[in-house]
Amino acid sequence: MRFEEDALALSDQVYRVARHLVGSREEAEDLMQETYARAFRSWRSFTPGTNLRAWLLRILTNLNIDRGRRLQRAPDLQPLEPNDYFLVDKLEEAGGPITDEERVDERLSQDSIVSALASVPHDFRDVIVLVDLGDFSYADAAQILDIPIGTVMSRLHRGRRILKAQLAEEAVG
Amino acid sequence: MCGCGKCEELLQPYLDRELSVAEHAEAEAHLDDCSYCRRRYRFEEALRRFVHSAADEPMAPELRERLAALRIAL
Repeated sequence: MRFEEDALALSDQVYRVARHLVGSREEAEDLMQETYARAFRSWRSFTPGTNLRAWLLRILTNLNIDRGRRLQRAPDLQPLEPNDYFLVDKLEEAGGPITDEERVDERLSQDSIVSALASVPHDFRDVIVLVDLGDFSYADAAQILDIPIGTVMSRLHRGRRILKAQLAEEAVG
Repeated sequence: MCGCGKCEELLQPYLDRELSVAEHAEAEAHLDDCSYCRRRYRFEEALRRFVHSAADEPMAPELRERLAALRIAL
């Protein structure tokens, strides 16, 4: 069936997002299987011509919430870092001016990115993963998570600051 | 340091390509004038690309097969 083939063709892109919405590869694989099983059963509710990848991610994020993987709540009392440039300022304080892209790779490791991302609370991480890793627009992310677009923007803003504070902590202590 | 709060406000949506045409032009004009922000915008852009590639973990071929096996024979 065409729908199934289209959905399977998107599985790499859906997995890219799923992998960082949950804590482990095994959980991501379980979630992918549940998502595709549900999608194949309910394909009639998909409107042809609309965004199939967003539709699959909507199923996936709902299943993720249903399965109680989101017990961790937003850290309302956690102070915000002073500004969006916190990480670059910290790295420059520790190792001199950063002049080009190569220096970002030199000062931050791949592992530090993955573990810093995993440490961001779920509500914030969901939007970072959808927008930064999944390349979804604010409007798509709002639709997938069923939250207002303004909430996407504020969570993204705050989530990225938390991520950068964590990266700064791992990079320079 | 740039004392203008506007650049910080525009930074994220600028990088996300979510600004209106007028706001985008405003951000570009500011970047042309302010080397402090320009360096930091470049860093943020590079960081965004690095996060994107660092977090990329390919799907296992076995999972692809398991997903294909879920197809419903009609």
